[in-house]
Amino acid sequence: MTSEKKPELGSVMVIGGCGFLGHHVVRLLLRDYTCSVSVVDLRCVRNRRPDSDGVHYFEADITDAAKLESIFTKARPSVVIHTASPPAQSNDSVSHALFKKVNVDGTAAVVDACRKTGVKALVYTSSASVMSDNLSDLINADERWPVIRGANQSEYYSETKAAAEEIVLKANRSPEAPSLLTCAIRPSGIMGEGDTMVLYHIINIYRQGRTNVQVGDNNNLFDFTYVENVAHGHLLAARALLQTAAARIVPLDTERVDGEAFLITNDTPVYFWDFCRAIWAAAGSPLGTDHVWILPRSTGMFLGYLSEVFFSLIRKPPTFNRQRIVYSCMTRYYDISKAKRRLGYKPLVSLEDGIKRSVKWTLENASK
Amino acid sequence: MAKSKMATASQILYFLVHPNQLRAVIQWKVWHEPVHRRDPSKETATEKACFYYLELTSRSFAAVIQELNPELLMPICLFYLVLRGLDTIEDDMTLDINEKVKLLRNFSEHMETDGWTFDKNGPDEKDRELLVHFDQVIIELKKVKRPYYEVIKDITIKMGNGMADYALKAENGDLGVETIKDYELYCHYVAGLVGEGLTQLFVESKLANPQLLVRMDLTESMGQFLQKTNIIRDVHEDYVDKRRFWPREIWSKYVNTWDDMFLPENREKAMNCSSEMVLNALKHADECLFYMAGVRDQSVFNFVAIPQTMAMATIDLVFRNPRIFDSHLKITKGDACQLMSDSTQNLRIVCDVFKKYTRRIHKKNDPRDPSYLAISAQCGKIEQFIESIFPTQDPKKIEAAALQEEAAAAGGMGFWETAALVGSALFVLLAIGGLMIGAAWFLGARFNHTFAELDSKVRGSITTTITTLAGAVPTPGHEEL
Repeated sequence: MTSEKKPELGSVMVIGGCGFLGHHVVRLLLRDYTCSVSVVDLRCVRNRRPDSDGVHYFEADITDAAKLESIFTKARPSVVIHTASPPAQSNDSVSHALFKKVNVDGTAAVVDACRKTGVKALVYTSSASVMSDNLSDLINADERWPVIRGANQSEYYSETKAAAEEIVLKANRSPEAPSLLTCAIRPSGIMGEGDTMVLYHIINIYRQGRTNVQVGDNNNLFDFTYVENVAHGHLLAARALLQTAAARIVPLDTERVDGEAFLITNDTPVYFWDFCRAIWAAAGSPLGTDHVWILPRSTGMFLGYLSEVFFSLIRKPPTFNRQRIVYSCMTRYYDISKAKRRLGYKPLVSLEDGIKRSVKWTLENASK
Repeated sequence: MAKSKMATASQILYFLVHPNQLRAVIQWKVWHEPVHRRDPSKETATEKACFYYLELTSRSFAAVIQELNPELLMPICLFYLVLRGLDTIEDDMTLDINEKVKLLRNFSEHMETDGWTFDKNGPDEKDRELLVHFDQVIIELKKVKRPYYEVIKDITIKMGNGMADYALKAENGDLGVETIKDYELYCHYVAGLVGEGLTQLFVESKLANPQLLVRMDLTESMGQFLQKTNIIRDVHEDYVDKRRFWPREIWSKYVNTWDDMFLPENREKAMNCSSEMVLNALKHADECLFYMAGVRDQSVFNFVAIPQTMAMATIDLVFRNPRIFDSHLKITKGDACQLMSDSTQNLRIVCDVFKKYTRRIHKKNDPRDPSYLAISAQCGKIEQFIESIFPTQDPKKIEAAALQEEAAAAGGMGFWETAALVGSALFVLLAIGGLMIGAAWFLGARFNHTFAELDSKVRGSITTTITTLAGAVPTPGHEEL
């Protein structure tokens, strides 16, 4: 990128720009593009760029429509990258309310603000999980696969992400603001510096010396994606939307970016337990697989069931359940040809390097 | 006319304990029906001579070549013999280097000279007979259709010059396989070029998709995959013969000198090195499948698929197998027959074979190996490629199923209906159980002690199992943005 001229993106607003994915989007904007950057986040303390980078930070709750609109009026973004979303860790009614509020109502407010202030391009961070019913395999799935909604969607988080994606995509060339172009990025299994979920949990298993269990046959391929690649996908999409806006004609259906959703992965599906073991090895594990005790999926499901019964008897939320077994045995990988073809997407960082960087960060920062 | 050997006692014993192997051998020998069979009654004397030398010089290719579509039968047989002729000159260490180089570079002219033969090969050169009677081959070469002949000649020129270059390098005691690029260039000369010629013949005869000529990288992968597999498998044999084909760029990461590779105390390092070699070979596997998808004729498909599946099985055999450093490994006769049966059907079955061996390789992968993740990713890539040609899932069907489920949820059996059903079944079970326990009690059995004991045991084991699993099973699924 250094040798060629950096592409122009104008004025870019990153919503959730202090979050895990958002701050990588900001970093890439500063590194790979010519643009001015502003950030909206609930708190703008962590993951904040030094003042010398010239990023404007605005603290706001995105569900506060009036405040959001006033910030938009001040910052005048031509491009909005909406990455804000609460972490999907818990599954109780309080967090459900939060998912609904931030993901659905918040996104509606962002769309409104875009419409009212003449934003040209809106890129929304959706999730590859909107295509999963959290039970069935997704084998080399692409964007033709249905979005799982309502009664079929057992994860409320995914339901709210899907609802928000729908709001964003419907806003593309809509009568309210025909000049607003939108698209959605659906990443799968994001990991990287700043991630306190996926990697943190897997490394903990190693720290507690519990790498000796494998549930299922480990033939299930899974897509994990290094965060910088996800950020890169967002910015390619933003750039494509601006180009479409400048062209002033509606592109062919097979070339379209506006109004479309794009799966983004590292384009490197690996076997689920291999991914875990690669992380353990990167974290220092000297072990092979001789010590591993392979538990058939059905046995795992039975134990998960026992655990659910047991915990319901002692009236506590189960620390271990059948869904955990299902996830670790599920095949879930995607065909990202659409993003490659229409966005020119190609991962910037290989899975191997991504794991190394992420593990290093997790060991240094999340070890407390 | 393969040499038929008497089955030895050990062979009989082997097949007794491995009935599947025996079944595969019988299946291939009895049930394999060639698509085409040559008809010796209609052949000229020189044609017959060519097939005689084909069988004399080729162990593995003679059978598949003779089952080729008649359109390509003679051209490919002759192509093989010409290359074998070149090989026989290159291999012969008794020849003077200058003469050898001259012969190799001029071979394309010799093969056009009526009556040309060569009898100066050393007496031990196994295929010297072919060159002694090469005039017979030349007579048949003259009858080959012009476009086919041009292909054969073009490759002969390129190959002859390549071989001459390597012969000169070898004379200086060094094949010069330093970098991966050198290694792949060598594989190109000995295998990639042959593939180039074959693809041109297949397309010219309209037995393969002309797109293969646009994607020559696929052809290159076919040759590279076969050659690299052989080079990995033969590492010990070549070492004994004082030859080395593994590039220094790879092995120097694991050992200091090539000799160190074979020291028993370095076995772990050598194994990790061989893993990187396997990874390097495996990166061609998906492109090989892609190539085979472009073949239109069954006999050509069989011809190209058999060596590929054999290579895939060989890669699995050598992967993380320390024996490659002290012995010569070969896939079993039974496996070879099974592979031949599977490779003479269709692309789907060949893909299944690739997937089967991919997963076997994946199972042997070791997290301590520096190539661990890359090998896992390459296995994943092969599986993903197979999915792209033969998808397991159909998005339309998934959508339809999802709609149906929704409808079922709305109009299916209600909660109370289900509850009543389950409840009545439970009631019957409990009633019968209660009656039996009551009867036992009545007859003098006492349970309180048993229950107390059972209770503490079950509770204990459930809590330990659950806490172990709770910590051991990662959850990647929904914890993403």
